[in-house]
Amino acid sequence: MAIDKAIIKEIFLLLFEIIKALFEMLLGKIKGWFGLFWNRFFKLADVSYGEREEEPEQEWGVTGEDEWASIPEASLVKQEEPQQKVERREDVFSGEIQEIPGNYGDNRIVLMVRDPEWLFVYWELQGKFVDDVRSAMGSMAYSAKVVLRVYDVTDIIFNGNNAHKYFDIEIRGGARNWYIKVGESDRSFCVDMGFLTSYGTFFVIVRSNVVKTPRVGVSEIIDEEWMSVKELYEKVYIPAGSGVSESIFESAHKNWLETHKLGVSSTESFNCSTIIKK
Amino acid sequence: MGKGFLALVLHAHLPFVRHPEYEEFLEEDWLFEAITETYIPLINVFDRLIEEGIDFRITMSLSPPLISMLADELLQTRYIRYIEKRIQLTGKEIERTKHQKEFNSLARRYNANFTNARYVFAEKYQRNIVQAFKKFQDAGKVEVITCGATHGFLPLMNNNLNAIRAQIHVAVNHYQKHFGKRPNGIWLPECGYEQGIDWILKDAGIRFFITETHGILFATPRPKYGIYAPIYCPSGVAAFGRDVESSRQVWSSKEGYPGDFFYREFYRDVGYDLDYDYIRPYLHGDGKRSNIGIKYYRITGKTDQKEPYSHEMALDKAAEHAGNFMFNREKQIEYLASVMDRNPIIIAPYDAELFGHWWFEGPDWINYLFRKIAYDQKTISPITPMEYLELYPVNQVCKPSLSSWGYKGYCEYWLNESNDWIYRHLHKAAERMVELARTYSYTNVNPLQNRALNQASRELLLAQSSDWAFIMRTGTMVEYAIKRTKEHLSRFTRLCDDICSNTIDANWLTDIESKDNIFPEIDYRVYQ
Repeated sequence: MAIDKAIIKEIFLLLFEIIKALFEMLLGKIKGWFGLFWNRFFKLADVSYGEREEEPEQEWGVTGEDEWASIPEASLVKQEEPQQKVERREDVFSGEIQEIPGNYGDNRIVLMVRDPEWLFVYWELQGKFVDDVRSAMGSMAYSAKVVLRVYDVTDIIFNGNNAHKYFDIEIRGGARNWYIKVGESDRSFCVDMGFLTSYGTFFVIVRSNVVKTPRVGVSEIIDEEWMSVKELYEKVYIPAGSGVSESIFESAHKNWLETHKLGVSSTESFNCSTIIKK
Repeated sequence: MGKGFLALVLHAHLPFVRHPEYEEFLEEDWLFEAITETYIPLINVFDRLIEEGIDFRITMSLSPPLISMLADELLQTRYIRYIEKRIQLTGKEIERTKHQKEFNSLARRYNANFTNARYVFAEKYQRNIVQAFKKFQDAGKVEVITCGATHGFLPLMNNNLNAIRAQIHVAVNHYQKHFGKRPNGIWLPECGYEQGIDWILKDAGIRFFITETHGILFATPRPKYGIYAPIYCPSGVAAFGRDVESSRQVWSSKEGYPGDFFYREFYRDVGYDLDYDYIRPYLHGDGKRSNIGIKYYRITGKTDQKEPYSHEMALDKAAEHAGNFMFNREKQIEYLASVMDRNPIIIAPYDAELFGHWWFEGPDWINYLFRKIAYDQKTISPITPMEYLELYPVNQVCKPSLSSWGYKGYCEYWLNESNDWIYRHLHKAAERMVELARTYSYTNVNPLQNRALNQASRELLLAQSSDWAFIMRTGTMVEYAIKRTKEHLSRFTRLCDDICSNTIDANWLTDIESKDNIFPEIDYRVYQ
């Protein structure tokens, strides 16, 4: 009998788990519906500010026949600056309070290179502009997510459909900027911000400039061209209008030395320094 | 002639900090400390070397904001007040320490140093020490090069060529005004280079710039001599790469000279150590303890029990380190010369303020280094990059790669979560400035509009200073950097709006002109 009791207990626990799981699924659905209604009526993507964790493995796709919404814009955007944690000093803040614009009335996205693996992108969008894109999408707007589509456009004139590959990053919350790990040096990139529907159709809101990540490592090209510049400078110039991390340097240096089979003198070692690069 | 060359490069820069609206201002001390501890000791070293007929070469970038502050009357007057207070305090210190022999001799030394600083500053160079560097340049010993107008980090200017061009051209014009000639070279702010910048330098008549090691090593095609000879960018501007070895010996927190236990400890200052009531008159108005510049202890070791500083022992160390540095460069040059078909050049660039301010004995080290190079060896000769180009006018053509000398070697130090919010504003402001310059270049502007347009250029340039992003990242004095960024951007925005709507407030304009008075000669058309 004792064994039977144990079995019955197990069965009950199992049933409980199943019910719990079903309940959670239902809750998820309700949340989803609620989100849709929220988007529909308040036109806001929800999401907490500041989750900008590294995007791990990117899945690269191939540029498809995405629909380019010629009508452009969105209010995915909180307008305040991030809170700066600062200790106030009286004399610094006793003067006039300086405020800078929270919004310039633009619809644009700007892409920048941080290093050989990371890009940085910021954007500004006006509600009206995003609404127009949304209306153009018709019923497909309901399930659409806001994404950054990152294209590899190395050595091509990008027309929206001819990228070598791309990946998407879903943007949530009031983010106004994002760090993008592309993980590839010496490649060119362009980013679209747009709506991705559950059917996989992509509607572009704004397109960024193109940037190129720098090359890492010694060039394979060894053609030598030499020049003298004396004549270039033989003219009169008229004034226009009237802490250090050593890893990259050291590895670059070693890399070069290995390539050239050079050695350098060894150095004596010295004591610990308290110097900090200003 | 020996087998190779050493080009010591010192980059002297401080952000433009000048607050006439306050009687005194904490951040103005950055300049005063640097004058006392770095610029004047270096001037003394150069003067003595010249007097004694010892040949030397040094390349120094003096950034336009630094030159502007050194030439500014208000700050000159304030410096005299600053140094006189220190002379007064060391007088008291001599009295206070009269029964402590070790400290007493140090107090006397500081008193002598400060008195000398006052003399060199106020009398010898008539308050404008830029003239000292001009004198050394005219003597052919120091090559003064320029920098970005306000030390703006060029690779993060979103390829706004007009904005980058303005940073370069304003700097070059400013240099010409102070040195009576155009600069041969430039220190790119933070060594920040990206492809294409060289064309703008070329356009300004600049012959060379210094770049980070991997900027050259990762260049395309592969540079035959690595960083031991310059390369020409496609524009014909030469790029010299920083030598890793010599940098590490001075910079490295593990192996660098400045950490020697006999050197002066930076972090033990009487501003923190002495009795509050005694030191209070020498602190700032808010009464917060801060550095005074009188430090009695040596690094000693990894301990809080610091021992008294002995200047004589520290000087012996500086001489020893200078000898070691020279020895290593000799070995390096001998080896390089054996594998290269020309005499190699080693580029050793440092922040000027490392010498004297952080590394108290740094100027003495430079002094010993040049004396030893002159008398103790025949392998290396000191040289400036320009002299090297005259010696070797034919060089390989390569495209350097994006690089900076900041943490990790690219843009991260100036673009991260502590400071990334500034770029949308800086980019927008630069675009608006270019638009304004275009609009008002072809129409008649009245004198008031002209002033407002010029002031808008100043505000933009000041906002672009890489120092603000740098400080936000380091985490000290952050509120000041934020305030400055917002202040210049908001002044710029208001000027811009007022110019467009033709509602310029002349009184307010006069007020900000008197505060942000950098580049009085600026012409906004530099942005067109």
